[in-house]
Amino acid sequence: MKRTVRLFAVVACALLAFVFMGAENANGEAIKAKIGVISIITGQGAAYGEAITNGIKLARDEVNAKGEVLIDLKVEDSSGKQEQALAAAQKLINSEKVVSIIGPTLSNEMFAAGPEANASGVPIMGTSTTAKGIPQIGKFVFRNALPESQAIPASVGQAVKKYNIRKVALLYGNDDAFTKSGFDTMKEVAEKLKLEIVTIQEFQKGQADYKAQLTKITSLKPDAVFCSALYNEGGVILAQARKMGLKVPFVGGNGFNSPKVIEIAKEAAEGLIVATPWFGEKNDPKVKEFVAKYEKAYGKKPDQFAAQAYDAFYIMTNALKAAGTADRAKLRDALAATKNFQGVLGKFSFDAERDVVMAPNVLIVKGGKFTIFN
Amino acid sequence: MFLEQLINGITLGSIYAIVALGYTLVFGVLDIINMAHGEIFMFGAFVGMLIVSKAGAPLPVAFLGAIVVTAAMGLLLERFALRPLRTRPGASHLASLISTIGVSILLENVAHKIFGSGNHLFETPFAEISFTIGPVTVYLVQVVILLISLFLMVGLSLWLSRTRAGKALRAAAENLETAGLLGVDTNRMITATVVIASAMGGIAGVLVGMAFNYINNQIGLSMGLKGLAIIIFGGMGSVYGAMAGGLILGLSETFVVAYGSSGYRDAIAFVAIIVILLIKPQGLFGQAPAEARR
Amino acid sequence: MEWLNPYHLQVASFVLINAILGVSIYVTLSTGQLSLGNAGFMSVGAYTAALLSTQHQVPIPVGILAGSLLAGAAGILVGIPSLRLSGVYLAIATLGFGEVLRAVLINWESLTGGAVGVPAIPQMGRVTLVWARDRGFSPESLGLQSNQFISLTVFLILLLGTILTVAFFLRLSRSRVGRAYAAIRLDESAAAAAGIPITYYKVLAFSQGALLSGFAGALFAHSTSFVSPGDFTYHRAVEILVFAVFGGSLHIFGPVFGAAFLTVVPEALRAISDYRYILYGILLVLMMVFRPQGVIDPALLGRFRRSGKGTPA
Repeated sequence: MKRTVRLFAVVACALLAFVFMGAENANGEAIKAKIGVISIITGQGAAYGEAITNGIKLARDEVNAKGEVLIDLKVEDSSGKQEQALAAAQKLINSEKVVSIIGPTLSNEMFAAGPEANASGVPIMGTSTTAKGIPQIGKFVFRNALPESQAIPASVGQAVKKYNIRKVALLYGNDDAFTKSGFDTMKEVAEKLKLEIVTIQEFQKGQADYKAQLTKITSLKPDAVFCSALYNEGGVILAQARKMGLKVPFVGGNGFNSPKVIEIAKEAAEGLIVATPWFGEKNDPKVKEFVAKYEKAYGKKPDQFAAQAYDAFYIMTNALKAAGTADRAKLRDALAATKNFQGVLGKFSFDAERDVVMAPNVLIVKGGKFTIFN
Repeated sequence: MFLEQLINGITLGSIYAIVALGYTLVFGVLDIINMAHGEIFMFGAFVGMLIVSKAGAPLPVAFLGAIVVTAAMGLLLERFALRPLRTRPGASHLASLISTIGVSILLENVAHKIFGSGNHLFETPFAEISFTIGPVTVYLVQVVILLISLFLMVGLSLWLSRTRAGKALRAAAENLETAGLLGVDTNRMITATVVIASAMGGIAGVLVGMAFNYINNQIGLSMGLKGLAIIIFGGMGSVYGAMAGGLILGLSETFVVAYGSSGYRDAIAFVAIIVILLIKPQGLFGQAPAEARR
Repeated sequence: MEWLNPYHLQVASFVLINAILGVSIYVTLSTGQLSLGNAGFMSVGAYTAALLSTQHQVPIPVGILAGSLLAGAAGILVGIPSLRLSGVYLAIATLGFGEVLRAVLINWESLTGGAVGVPAIPQMGRVTLVWARDRGFSPESLGLQSNQFISLTVFLILLLGTILTVAFFLRLSRSRVGRAYAAIRLDESAAAAAGIPITYYKVLAFSQGALLSGFAGALFAHSTSFVSPGDFTYHRAVEILVFAVFGGSLHIFGPVFGAAFLTVVPEALRAISDYRYILYGILLVLMMVFRPQGVIDPALLGRFRRSGKGTPA
């Protein structure tokens, strides 16, 4: 009797192993597919593009090593210009015949390239496109970039509670779609929380001098400053603000998520509050492993853009596995059904409109690093 | 706050004035706008930054380095982008304008290649020192900038009016041909003018680094366009016009941000151009009427 | 039609839009006026078309017409005061105009949406496809996939627009107006002395250039389906300038060639696109030093014509 049971067990295990080995596809072969990437490799914003491309490449190496899917990555440069992003999308869709596209980097570029991908039936996923209305472009358009509309209420809400904020000054870059839409959300949230907005100050990209705006803000004595800026300007603003004696808490938009802010502002960054999907110091083995691998490959720590791109690639290839074959329409359906994916950013799902469902971390800069804010 | 904004405005304005002086010198003698002036200024700032922040050398060395590099750039500009056009018959003024536009694009993108697109820290050793006079805090940096600017402006005016070389330059500005006939070595004069103007741009670059602590490769473009606005406003070829125009622009920008809408800060310069071209095209201190210049 | 690649059609479409832009600066240049404000006029056309079609559901052709005319009107408004200016002053004033306009686009959020731009502009090809489908037509009957049909439609519309533009201005250059332009360019005082109404022709040229820029802008909006102030910066104005300066500023084929060459080459050489602007800068200087009239000039065209006629069939 015992021998029969043991035999049965061995055969059962062998059968199970056989079944799981065939998880690639019906033929037991790896799924081969071409995935296109539109990124900013040259021009303004190349720093973001570099982080994104690095994250994707790292993921690609890992996924290909596993062998269930074999991805041929085709990377095209958009230089941050939407015409080039559109041309790149056309090239990837029609000349390279990719099964899907990850990117482009900027919301502006997505507004030009997205409709084209949608009309051509090619799933396209933005990893950093946070403007309003992106997934609504069409049913082939996805994003895993946590929009400001989810991040800011978290950071502002916690800050207001902790510091008893009643009067607030708003400062933002009005010539960039990213920072402007961040500001729109900040204003909305401030109004919803019935805060008194003492002043709204604007600046333009590439400005080196914010004294005039900061002097005005200081004179009105707000309890906090909500600032929507890219890290280039953000770091400088923090430094100049602290230097002129503006000591109140700063709540930053998505652009402040980068360790580069701390690099530029140094001690002035202490006390900065941001909400971000990415927390590199999290006590999570997946996160630690990713950070270590990334640092080894590229010589620096990954930022939010690299992390989101890394997760995006995994989301894409998981959906490819679920679809079973490199078919654009099947991939789209599989993507839309993504639920509770565990990535380095945490748990992730697409909602009914292919937008992000994810809980942000609210962080504060302490001792020169981002730490959890509570 | 008013006094502090006033000081901000004057600091900004004096830097603008120096940049404008560079334009006005070249225009006065060569009758052309050097569209690459803004980018040369930007390189001056970066050289200063490399010397002060990366090499840790003292500030005067930064000035020296910036002056040397930008003067050299001016030399190359004159030799390769401007002089060949002078010797060609029938090349219009637009040709030199376009040629300098070409140089400016080249410089802007070379800087982008070398320095990247981010902000770089410019550490002035005495950046923290300030005095409090009543309700107002004045930084030593602001005082130094003002002093250097004044020194340059006064020095330039004296040099132009008192020294032989300066008078030769003014003669060349009046009429290049006649000056040549009277024994002025026009080629050398022109080269000297471009070199001096570029060096002034370099000095202004270091001043900007001191004033704002951060520089990036876009500052050349915006400074260049504002410098243009200033000399058109103040009068092309007029030294006083450049100085007055610079101060006025610096103060206007600061006060518009302080008391008006900060979104339009950069547009002021251009509105000023348009207004002055409609009312008094030769500028506040300008000399010959616009139609006579081609 | 397997060979019909929407990617190539896309690049060709950009070539055509750039060609119209190149002609727009050429027209004003043919009277000796250098306008660096064409990016501004382009934005007038683009935003007019964009806002009319997204907020007021105006049909695309009407929007394009309105955009072009509004840009042309703006050209008159800018052209008249600019008469007092010449050469460098004019170039800078027009540049200033473009920058002020861009600041307005960024700050007048209630109208333009600010820096965020205007998304979801009806795209010429997609709208045509829907229109055709509604009438029972399907691209498969022509052997085309949807996206091929879309790109082809856009390309054909732009081709028509470009051909009409070039044909019109070619005729113009041989007419009385064209001769007046040339006379003004060569020597304004002499032309005035000869009885040519300088003011009228200069403003006319200015507004024609502005109208063309606006036309190109509206077409741009309806091909990329998104516009924002960042599309109309000083860099764009310089790009347009380079088309004409490099391609040839003495004959209308010049900017057309310049636009084609300078749009296709960076696309084909994506590898060197990192250095694209550096090369542009060097190109501008070299052209001014060695061949200020640009690549295509009447002499070159004359040689083509002669060799064409002289060769036996």
